Amino acid sequence: MRRTRAFAAAAVAAALFLSGCGLSSGDDAGSAGSDDKISGEVKGEITFATLALKPTFDDYINGLIADFQKQHPGTTVTWIDLPFQGAQEKITNDAQAGTLPDVVNLNPNFAQKLEKQGVFVDMETNAGDAKSTFVPGAWDAFKVPGQPGSYGLPWYLTSEVTMYNKDLFAQAGMADAAPPKTVDELLTQAEKLSAAGKGRFYGWHPALENSFVPNLAKLGVPLLNDDATAWTFNTPEAVQYVTRVRDLYAKKAIAPDWLTQDHAKETEAYSAGRVALFPSGPNFLKVVGQNAPAVAKATGVAPQIASADGTTNMSVMGLLVPRKSKNPATALEFAKFVSNAQNQLAFAKIVTILPSTADSLKDPYFTQVDPADPTSPARKISAEQIAKAENLTPVQWDDRTKAVVIGKMQLAVKGDLDPKAALDQAVAEANKLLAR
Amino acid sequence: MIGRRWYVPWLFLAPALLVTALMTWGPLANTGVLAFTDAQALGGGQFTGLDNFVRLADDTDFFRALGNTALYLVVVVPALVLLPLLLAQLVHAKLPGIGAFRAVFYTPVIASMVVVGLIWSWLLSSDGLVNAVLVKLRVVAEPLPFLTDATLLLFSCMLVTVWKGLGYYMVIYLAALSNVPGELHEAARVDGAGAVRRFRSVTVPTVRPTMLLVGTLAAISATKVFAEIYVMSSGTAGPGGQAKSIVYYIREVGLGVDGEIGYASAMSLTLFVGTLGLSVLALVLRRRSERNTA
Repeated sequence: MRRTRAFAAAAVAAALFLSGCGLSSGDDAGSAGSDDKISGEVKGEITFATLALKPTFDDYINGLIADFQKQHPGTTVTWIDLPFQGAQEKITNDAQAGTLPDVVNLNPNFAQKLEKQGVFVDMETNAGDAKSTFVPGAWDAFKVPGQPGSYGLPWYLTSEVTMYNKDLFAQAGMADAAPPKTVDELLTQAEKLSAAGKGRFYGWHPALENSFVPNLAKLGVPLLNDDATAWTFNTPEAVQYVTRVRDLYAKKAIAPDWLTQDHAKETEAYSAGRVALFPSGPNFLKVVGQNAPAVAKATGVAPQIASADGTTNMSVMGLLVPRKSKNPATALEFAKFVSNAQNQLAFAKIVTILPSTADSLKDPYFTQVDPADPTSPARKISAEQIAKAENLTPVQWDDRTKAVVIGKMQLAVKGDLDPKAALDQAVAEANKLLAR
Repeated sequence: MIGRRWYVPWLFLAPALLVTALMTWGPLANTGVLAFTDAQALGGGQFTGLDNFVRLADDTDFFRALGNTALYLVVVVPALVLLPLLLAQLVHAKLPGIGAFRAVFYTPVIASMVVVGLIWSWLLSSDGLVNAVLVKLRVVAEPLPFLTDATLLLFSCMLVTVWKGLGYYMVIYLAALSNVPGELHEAARVDGAGAVRRFRSVTVPTVRPTMLLVGTLAAISATKVFAEIYVMSSGTAGPGGQAKSIVYYIREVGLGVDGEIGYASAMSLTLFVGTLGLSVLALVLRRRSERNTA
């Protein structure tokens, strides 16, 4: 009996010990934008984590690593690539355990949660000399509003263009119509196209989780207050926009299933010739070309739908160095090397992305149209608009906030919730999440 | 001599116990502890007493998810207890081509839920095959919103759960049916009982313990439903997330860099206690049933 009790006590102790593991955090919370200056010799081993670049870009990344190791004898870079699926969990777990790779490729929206815990080194302090080489909007994307410093080096960018199916425009009797330049024109054309399509094709796929925030920003709706402590997008202009989308849905100008679909489904719908307007990154033109050559051939490309002052949206990927890196000097040097103008230009020439370095964008590859390359007009347009582009999606727009807000918008568009009530509820719930 | 020492059996059991402790009891105990803290994905973890459970009592999303899960249980469990039994009865019969029939029903069991979910979401989309047939046959005037109406989405997911589970539970019933003594059926037949009567009076009482087992297994998997809803709704749980199940909601709250681990643990613990209660109830019923049939 005594032995049984002893065993039970040991089991309970073991369980409590194990449970205690979950309560600790590997990374000490520090202050964001710390002014710790990194120093030290560039040598030794580092790890470099990218997002979904294997196996397509093996040659490019391995070449970069080989060049870096050659320029800095005594350094070894180990490359690991994370698939998008599950990358957040993996990075979160690594951050928790204090085992983040020395250089990490992340986007600002995901990285800012970690940065609020002071996980990454401040690039204003440590890479200030490189700051002027980057497109300003890209550098600013890695700032946390209300906090000093900037925590990532911009790497590659994408800037949406407006692709449209000329065949469907012709079928709708709109062959001479110019593609939309404003959100208002987008919705007006969408309605006309859908009416002509009669269910065979539609004007616009809402892909709400991608389009909602940038469209509000382009309509001049203030998304956050000045000190980024509260969401403020429940304005009359936003109510008008949601009401307009709801009316389109009610008139069957948007296919019913599209209400809950994302950008991947929007790309499928465009490739299938079921939607006429496709605001998206020019890299997706290549995807359409591979899956539906006829649709790609009928595709016209126009500049991105912009706000009244001409501001356009861009998405940014960056390179970040954790403060807990065992070899921060080498990690920082490698991040600067990967994101320098020469290496970014080489990368942009093998994939339809834009470099974040201003000089690279002056290369003829981005300023001239190559008749042999169907993606080159889109690339030129995209590169031209980057000077006035910003990351219009605030870094605070994380997955939980997105789920809550888009959920309310789906109900509003479906007609189950009044647009004003939906926006008020969305703001209230998003603010609860922001306050955490 | 050594074989008589008290600890020898424990030595044999130790590796398995250690793995179980690390992989099962440890996380379970960890969840139990975290449920009383404000743990976040990064940092946190202060003891907050019953705060999480108090918050739970006011969380309308939690109760909606609980309601959806309860509805799932009410619809799916009886269907998964009865339909596979009927199917097993058919498959048990020695009919020509029965092998192919068995294979057809077992194929969904081994298919991935993601693949099954995708196939069904294509079938049930507004321009999918099901709606095309219904409109063509003039059963409905316009396509039904199987994937964009929260209630219809839930029932569509239930259909998929049942469709995928049929073959699995059918195999369990087949094992039970092979234990039904042939002479009982023979005696009933001699007494003039038809097929339906023999099924009700001979087959069902004999396989009742198996029905309870199937009911328990189906109930446990129904409380854990996630993949069907996630795949069929493109990761949104329908407009406004109104078709969320309890596991879906726990995942949403606890996942990611901003995950509320403490609150998600409190929900998990509540679900665990609820599921345990159901299992104990089923066990008591099963024992009573076994006593009655013995």
